[in-house]
Amino acid sequence: MTFSKNESLCKDELQAWQLKHLKETLVRVYHLVPFYKKKFDEHGVLPGDIHSLKDLAKLPYTKKQDLRDNYPFGMFSVDMDQIVRIHSSSGTTGKPTVVGYTEHDMDVWAEVMGRAFTMGGVSSQDIMQNSHGYGLFTGGLGFHSAAERMKIAVIPSSTGFTSRQLLLLKDFGATVITATPSFALHMAEVALAEGYDISKDFKLKVGFFGAEPTSEGLKNEIAHIWGIDYHEVYGLSEIIGPGVACSCKHSHLLHIQEDHFYPEIIDPKSGEVLPEGQRGELVITTLTKQGLPIIRYRTGDITSLTRIPCRCGRTLGRIESIVGRSDDMLLINGVNVFPSQIEHVLSKQEGITLNYQIIADKKGYMDKLEVDVELDEHLISDDVSFLGNLKKSLEHALLNNLYINVEVKLVAPKSLQRSEGKAIRVLDKRTK
Amino acid sequence: MKYNIKQLSVFLENKAGELSDFTHALSTNGISIKSILLADSTDFGLVRTIVDNPEKAKAVLEEAGFSVRFTDVFGVKIEDIVGSFDKVVGTLARHKINILYTYSFYESNTGIFIFSVEKERFNEAITALQNNGIEILLAKHFY
Amino acid sequence: MIWSKEETLPRHELAKIQTQRLQESVARVYANVPFYHNKFKELGIEPKDITSIDDIAKLPFTKKQDLRDNYPFGLFAVKKDAIVRIHSSSGTTGKPTVVGYTKSDLDVWNEVMARVFTMAGVTSEDTSHNAYGYGLFTGGLGLHYGAETVGATVVPSSGGFTSRQLMLMKDFEATVLTSTPSFALHMAETAIAEGYDIQKDFKLKCGIFGAEPTSLGLKEEVARVWGINYCEIYGLSEIIGPGVSSSCFESKDLHVFEDHFYPEIIDPKTLEVLPFGEKGELVITSLTKQAFPIIRYRTGDITTLDRTPCRCGRTHVRMKSVMGRVDDMLIVNGVNVFPSQVEHVLSNIQGITLNYQIVADKKGYLDKLEIMVEVTEDMPLDSIGALEKIKKTIQHELLNNLYINADIKLVEPRTIERSVGKAVRVIDKRSLS
Repeated sequence: MTFSKNESLCKDELQAWQLKHLKETLVRVYHLVPFYKKKFDEHGVLPGDIHSLKDLAKLPYTKKQDLRDNYPFGMFSVDMDQIVRIHSSSGTTGKPTVVGYTEHDMDVWAEVMGRAFTMGGVSSQDIMQNSHGYGLFTGGLGFHSAAERMKIAVIPSSTGFTSRQLLLLKDFGATVITATPSFALHMAEVALAEGYDISKDFKLKVGFFGAEPTSEGLKNEIAHIWGIDYHEVYGLSEIIGPGVACSCKHSHLLHIQEDHFYPEIIDPKSGEVLPEGQRGELVITTLTKQGLPIIRYRTGDITSLTRIPCRCGRTLGRIESIVGRSDDMLLINGVNVFPSQIEHVLSKQEGITLNYQIIADKKGYMDKLEVDVELDEHLISDDVSFLGNLKKSLEHALLNNLYINVEVKLVAPKSLQRSEGKAIRVLDKRTK
Repeated sequence: MKYNIKQLSVFLENKAGELSDFTHALSTNGISIKSILLADSTDFGLVRTIVDNPEKAKAVLEEAGFSVRFTDVFGVKIEDIVGSFDKVVGTLARHKINILYTYSFYESNTGIFIFSVEKERFNEAITALQNNGIEILLAKHFY
Repeated sequence: MIWSKEETLPRHELAKIQTQRLQESVARVYANVPFYHNKFKELGIEPKDITSIDDIAKLPFTKKQDLRDNYPFGLFAVKKDAIVRIHSSSGTTGKPTVVGYTKSDLDVWNEVMARVFTMAGVTSEDTSHNAYGYGLFTGGLGLHYGAETVGATVVPSSGGFTSRQLMLMKDFEATVLTSTPSFALHMAETAIAEGYDIQKDFKLKCGIFGAEPTSLGLKEEVARVWGINYCEIYGLSEIIGPGVSSSCFESKDLHVFEDHFYPEIIDPKTLEVLPFGEKGELVITSLTKQAFPIIRYRTGDITTLDRTPCRCGRTHVRMKSVMGRVDDMLIVNGVNVFPSQVEHVLSNIQGITLNYQIVADKKGYLDKLEIMVEVTEDMPLDSIGALEKIKKTIQHELLNNLYINADIKLVEPRTIERSVGKAVRVIDKRSLS
């Protein structure tokens, strides 16, 4: 079963749709977003120069930094009174990345999420426990609103409070769960520790997971331990949020909703477009968005794209589960973290140096982030509580800027490991 | 200033061997520890110590990678009789002088208590104690 | 501006609608909810006995404990597949309070919330910064959809992260703030400390505040410091969530949306219905809810009702801002806490006794809860590690079970003061004057 006919258009129909909407989008951004007008003019390319999907390669890329430079609303192509929703994620330093949605964009979002739910066989009979974080992140409300439109019952449990979540999961008899894969495993672990009989106490039949890179082994373990179908959902707020791509019952690859989000794979170094099947950085152009249309956005995610037909009948191209990043971004329990953000926070604190090391590790199944910071060579206080407060205030500032809990460890000057004189800034101990 | 003892406060990470690195740096440089207090929290420790050569100690410790800070403290001589310590603390209490921390050691049958008080009230504390007949140790006692 | 014509119906027409809807609700619960069926039987009442809205006094009361006894879905009047949303708050002990919504219930909720935003003067031109917590609590999503219904831009910032919230409020030029009053003041305090110029840097024109008892002085302070119109909203998840009543520009009192929620005031001791203007416990009957209709629910909130016409043109009865509680429930930063819940959590933790004292106080403008607990006699008091661990366990359990952050102070056995042998369990140092 598919949610809409656009999922199984023949190649010519799909490409005709894509080209038509690409042209509309280019006209829209050229005339309504000064950033794009300037960029297109600099590249000597006008919307009228695009006659085929291949011509897209003539257009410049958009990077996360461009969103930051045009903070908060400089990349929007509508007036604010047409914007009905704003989401934001953490930016590279200081200012967050901001995205806005019109009523039409919300429809597009519900549409692509509806397709994802349908791939998982979910209908209005189901009860969905939504353990993605609600609020400014797109995860919680993205799943929530779309499920509600399909009349799926939603338990908006948000993140954390594992014991409480298990209680609700059992007592409310949810059949669908949405979470990060690591939280799903963590819940299973806690369920066993608390004496639940997973196969008897819970009614789950399907789960939608995403927001962090996940190995095949881990996916199988989640599917096995909960006794559910595992569907992977890919997305990023710059494009729309969750729902950019989703895996069907027949394949581990993710169908990308390319009638709305046009994908390319490029060599992150040379910027050349790579042929089908080759791994590189995923670049996406939105074809139907109004609030924040985006041209050739460099996602930073490494994957490959195939258009080999899928047994499910959908003709949409498929991408691999994300295999890595082209930059130094870390994903911590589904939240994006750039080392530059951490450095930005540290730079504002007295009593410490900028010699630090970020250590990403696992605690049970959950990610944990530790930042070791060298103290100022001249201890600035003889007070134990001062050092305690220093730690607390750093942890507080990191939480406020990154939206995640970070454990700060104050260490002695010059005690952090350096390789050939150069500090090792990031140590990722999590194995894939 | 003759009563100001230069105490060294040294940051220690809470890991095995850390304290030994610290004492080793002092002993190999011929520095003698007169008194020591180790305050711990779960993540790190703070060593407060009085040594016979604070300037040199600071230099060798910093050389060894420790962060070091001088803090002025004073020492009080206390006879080994009931109520003598109470008298010292009571005097400070009457003057509403807050004791940040205190620690003690024995030296030939005399108890010596080291006190840290708020910097602004350091001299006031000494005067108050002396006026109450309490003997304050001269800093040079240690050097 | 008034959102819907039901808000200005002449009283006799309103009474007609109320009567008809009450009859439907009573018939619905009698037919579909065994709890009500049995209760009505015991009292010898049948749906046909309800011939006017005034007959409501014949019906039995419903208490929070009844919700707990019928956990999780026992009081629902529809099949589970008609439910599209579930919310839950903390219950009295152990199990949470659960409420469910059909599509039609969500429509009612959006409708009353749209009335609230319209009363506050909010339109599609506005940007609404929503600092209520999202998730299982009704606050975040309730205010969210209300703002969305009137077409405003919603910034779903949820709770916490004060500095970040201020940055977004300034940069996104929010014109409406929705939060608890204490968080609004806390934000103002932080804004000043961080060097913002409140008048210049922010574009707020109004705020919709609720979820905690608030003195007039505090409301004026919020309005003054932010330079905004203060609109108060009242609600509770058992009825629908926020949106049971709210204040208009003409009055500090709150119009109860009584075409959906019928209010009465009773004497909490004798349970007699009190006349208009007299102070007592607010009792509410839902008139249109499908999934979770509720008859004469005792809110525990003390207030008065006033039916004199309001200058704004709305004919709906007005209630005073809640003046207190009939029970020992505390509201801490918008979260309801019963001492019995705290005791329940403590009783499951090793190393401590059940001699405890809950101290509610203010830290700046935010509420803070401190819980002193006596450790057991055999607890080694010199083991800082062991004590730290107990403290962390208690904190973790309270957060997990009651959604509250509390400072825990472990004290030696027999140190918490007892008055005439009986421990003083709760000290509330916050004043409401």
